[in-house]
Formats: sequence, C-alpha cells, structure tokens
Amino acid sequence: MIMAHSSFLDVSGAEKSFGAVTVLGGVDLRVAQGEFVSLLGPSGCGKTTLLRAVAGLLGLDRGTVKLDGEDITAKPPHRRDVGVVFQNYALFPHLTVAENVAFGLKARRRAAAETREAVTQFLELVHLSALADRSVRALSGGQQQRVAVARALAVRPKLLLLDEPFSALDRKLRETMQIDLRRLLRELGTTSVFVTHDQDEALTMSDRIAVMNRGAIEQFDAPEAIYRRPATAFALEFVGLSTMLAGTVTAQDGTTVAVDTAFGPLRAHGNFVPGAKVLLAVRPERIKVEPAGDFAFAARLRDAVFQGSKVQLHFEAAEGDRLMVETADLPHGVPAPGTELKLGWAVADTLIYPAPAS
Amino acid sequence: MKALRDPVVLLAAPAVLYLTLLYALPLGWLLAKSFSGPAGLTLQPYTEFFGDPFNWRVIGNTLGSALWVTVVCLAIGYPAGFALARAGTAMQIAMLVAIILPLSVGVVVKAFAWQIVLRRDGVVSQFLVALGIWDEPQRLLFTEAGLVLGAANIFLPFMILPIYSVVKLIDPRLSEAGATLGATPSYRFVRITFPLTLPGVVSGVAFVFSMSVSMYVIPSLLIGDRFQTLSTLTGRSFLFMRNEQLGSTTAVILLALAIAVVVASSWLARRLGSTE
Ligand SMILES: Nc1ncnc2c1ncn2[C@@H]1O[C@H](COP(=O)(O)OP(=O)(O)OP(=O)(O)O)[C@@H](O)[C@H]1O
Ligand SMILES: [Mg+2]
Repeated sequence: MIMAHSSFLDVSGAEKSFGAVTVLGGVDLRVAQGEFVSLLGPSGCGKTTLLRAVAGLLGLDRGTVKLDGEDITAKPPHRRDVGVVFQNYALFPHLTVAENVAFGLKARRRAAAETREAVTQFLELVHLSALADRSVRALSGGQQQRVAVARALAVRPKLLLLDEPFSALDRKLRETMQIDLRRLLRELGTTSVFVTHDQDEALTMSDRIAVMNRGAIEQFDAPEAIYRRPATAFALEFVGLSTMLAGTVTAQDGTTVAVDTAFGPLRAHGNFVPGAKVLLAVRPERIKVEPAGDFAFAARLRDAVFQGSKVQLHFEAAEGDRLMVETADLPHGVPAPGTELKLGWAVADTLIYPAPAS
Repeated sequence: MKALRDPVVLLAAPAVLYLTLLYALPLGWLLAKSFSGPAGLTLQPYTEFFGDPFNWRVIGNTLGSALWVTVVCLAIGYPAGFALARAGTAMQIAMLVAIILPLSVGVVVKAFAWQIVLRRDGVVSQFLVALGIWDEPQRLLFTEAGLVLGAANIFLPFMILPIYSVVKLIDPRLSEAGATLGATPSYRFVRITFPLTLPGVVSGVAFVFSMSVSMYVIPSLLIGDRFQTLSTLTGRSFLFMRNEQLGSTTAVILLALAIAVVVASSWLARRLGSTE
C-alpha cells in the first residue's frame, strides 16, 4: 500500500449542486502518485460528478482541485493533462482504431514519428495491433473498451480517470480485463481514479477505496481495512456481506459495551451510553459454529445454503432479526433446518454503529 | 418470384405505381423526344444547343445562381442548424415552428413578397442606406444579388433541417473526450464535430442545389426574362415557343447537371469523412 505522504491529486471542499439538489457536499480526496483509488458507491451518489469535476468537464460551485502541486480548478479540460475513459467509451466513430489512439498525440502536435511509435506501443499493450485499421464501429464491447484505455493512456496523462469502464461487459470478460488493466497501469505507474459500484471490483483492484454516499466520502482506506473495520453502517452494508442486528446498550464497562439484541445479550468494543440505540454486525466468516470463543449463544437454524467451498447458514431470532454465517468447517456435515446450534465470535469482531435516527 | 411473395414488398407498390405513371413515363418520353429527329435517333438537338454561345450563358446562369444560393444557405444554415440542435426545449420548438411554418406559404406568395422587399424603397435598401453602406437607395429587384437573396431565404429550411438532425445525434461526450485528450475547442470542431456533420451538409447541399438549379417561379418573379436559366428556357420552349425538341433537350441537360452535382457532392463527402 502506498501512503499518501504528499498528495498528487488533491481535491478539497468540492461542492456541486444542480438547482436545489446538492450532488457533492464538500468532498475531500487525496491521492498519492502512482496510486489506484476506487470511488465506490451506489447509483446517483455523485461519483461521475466528482470525476467530471476533476477532469474539468464540469465546474465546481466551491472547492479546489490540485494536481501535481498545481491548482487546476480554473483550467479548461484540454490543458489539465487528465485522461478519461468514459462509461460508454466515447470513441470517435469516424476514425479507425489507430486514428482514435493517435488523436490525443496529434492534438498535442507531437512529431509524426513519435505518434506512430506511441500508437504501435499502446495498441500492443492492449493487444489490439491486429485491428489497428478497423473502424471502431466494427469492434466488440471489450475491444472498444481497450481502445478507449489505449487512447487515454497514449498521451501519458498525469492522471487517469475511469468511469465504470467494465459495466457493459459480461462477468467473465470483466474479470480478465480487471487484471489486465491493473497490471498495465502498474507497469506505467499511472495514478488512477476508478469509479465503480461493484464492490468486488473495488476490493480486488484498488490500493485504496473511497466509499461514497450521497455526495460525501464516508470512508477512505485500504480494501482490507474497509472490509474489517467499516467506519459507518453504510460502508459495512455496501462492502461485503453482512446482516445487521438492532439493539440497545444496557451497560458500559471501560471500552466494552453490553447490548441487548434479538439473539440475547452481545458484547462489542465501543463507547456508547446505556440506553443508546445501536446496530451490530459481524462478518459472516468471523462467526464460529460450536466455538470455544469469548461468548457463545444458541440460535435456531432456518436455512442452510451449500455453496461448494463453504456453507451459508441463516439463523433467525424470534423477532425476525437474522444472522448469517459462512463456514467451511462443519465436522458433522450440513445441519438440518430447525437445529439449534451454538454460535460465537471474538468481541473485537463485533462491529457497532449508532442506529440512524428514524 | 420470391420477392413477389414477400408481403412487405407489396407496401412499396403504390409508390412504384405512382412514380412509374407520373414520373418515369413522362421522363422517358422527354428523353426519347430529345434524342429523336426526323430521321430517327440523333444527337443533333444537343450539338445545336451546345453550338450556341447564348446557351452557354444560360448554363452559366443556372449553375452560378444555384451555386450562390447553396453557398448562402450553407453559410447561414450551418450555424443555425447547430443553434437549433443545442437550444433548450422551448427555444427549440419555437425555432422549429419559425423554420417550418413558412414552408406552408406558397413559393409564388413568397417571391411576390420579396419583390416588395427588394424594391428601391424596400427594407433591404433602406437598411443598407441607414447603415451607411449605400449612399442612396438602390433597387435589388431584377438583379442577380436580389435573386440569390430571395431564393436562399426560400430554400433555407432545406439546409437547416438536415444539419440540425445530424448535430442532434452527435454524442456531446465525443467532444469532451477530445478535450481530455488535449484538443482545443477549435481542433475538436475541425476533427470531431465537423466530420460528423458532413452527412447533414451533403443532404442539405443536395436539397438546396437541386431545388435552386431547377427553380422557375423565383427567377421569373425576381429577375425576369433578362436572366435565362435552363428551367426558364425549358418553360419558354414549351409554353411560348412551342418547341418541344428544345424544351426536352434543356430539361435533360438540367437533369444531368443536377444529378452530377448531387452524386459528386456525396462522393466528396464520403472521401472527406473517411480520411483522418
Ligand atoms: N447535469 C445534471 N443536471 C441535473 N442533475 C444532475 C446532472 N448530472 C447529475 N445530476 C444528478 O446528480 C446526481 C449524481 O449524479 P452522478 O452521475 O454523479 O451519479 P453516479 O454516482 O455517477 O451514479 P451512477 O452510478 O448511476 O453513474 C444524480 O442524482 C443525478 O440525477
Ligand atoms: Mg456515473
């Protein structure tokens, strides 16, 4: 992981409204040189808007954008040196594959020999040399996507922005393209900001993930940290599988609180006053069946889903609250629904959040 | 045989019948007439026509006025088509109505209106005097400039509408993509937007040129007999001189010219569109 000592891209206090709708409410984002950062969030949370503001395709109401130490807030897009791979690729339909890749170099009046060389090199990097003279209209979705990447990278931009570049591709192709793109960007050392609403994509590709919700970044951290310690209930729900239990704090003892839930009393590390309404969650794979853990309680199995390498167990409490467990370790085979099993986990694995005011 | 059994083909039947009866047959008759002499098949009407220097003037008048009208329409219609396509919804509807409504006024009425506008005391003259461009009022009526001005106004919608429809289809992200690649606004226009509007330009040019190369009423009213074009000459041959041979010949030459220009312009556009 790369630590953001000095930030290469520095967005601070970015605000943008369309009429009465606030789309960005003071976003700060600092990305280090060579880093690959994902903006992860649900549809309509402002990812594209933030990306367009960084590219200069949209003016901010307030806030600044700095790149490589220079304030580019007022600069037009063609003088920013920020490349973009658009969601629909936006390839030039009247040009061939090679002409699309050459476009930026020609626009920057690079020497003809240099342009030719860069086009050859980047077509090779995305494995499209054989299609150089094809019209881009005659390409498959995956090929178009690679032309868009080669076109954006051929001018060697300081920063590359990608807006859901894989959303139009099928799952299998998407996975190989993710690996290819990540390797290419690492080889070139290109600083990149990648927009997605697919958590798996963000988890596998990113150095750091910024979880966005309603025009604000809720957590910005390494994938593992986000998965292990989601900063907010939203981040927890959006990244990884989990079930939430509503509860009320009954007692506080130092750094630990006792919480009353539908599954009985549970404990978590946190600082809440007795009587506070909270949400508890545990990652399904952290829960042990028939454990020798910190504490254990009995729960009735409602459903067991066999998934090959693991089994998903769904438990239901009397009030309808649920708990999901994923385990590969069932010595007596998959238990039948209705069985009572003992569950337990380490107190440190209990995630606790204030319940949203309803 | 297979095509005959396809019911979709039948849908074209009324159009085919209509065009054959009212268009292809008379055209065939015209062609036959222009190539037939007392002793059968002949090229004599054509050699005679091209042998007369007056007729070369007529061809020059025809092509020259059509070219000017097309150029004026393109110069005004191209930016107008853009403005129309990029305007807000309400503005767009207002502009479309303003462009399409005049099409429901007959050409004769419009040409008469232009007679008034182009007079010595007409608005154009008054305007130019007020601006200080002209020292004293002048008559534009019965001049070639007046003809071009009036005809361009009447044919302008046929340039604006095809350009408008292609501009509307251009994805605004293409220009944005160009910008993020480092292209200045003018470079983006020349290399992205303009090439993508060429099909609309070609349709507009083909419409306006073929209409203005064959216009009859407008030159009759705005410039008169002094300025003969192939279509006024065709009309005179049939109506006044009762010379069907000459009329057919000029009509066929006019048709050939119009087709040649339209084919050449679309060929040119395809060349322009494919390079770079
Ligand atoms: N030009 C605009 N005018 C008005 N509202 C806009 C405009 N652009 C975006 N919005 C609104 O701003 C909000 C955020 O849009 P944005 O495109 O940034 O979302 P997103 O996170 O990229 O979503 P998605 O994942 O669906 O692409 C949406 O509610 C959208 O309707
Ligand atoms: Mg988006």
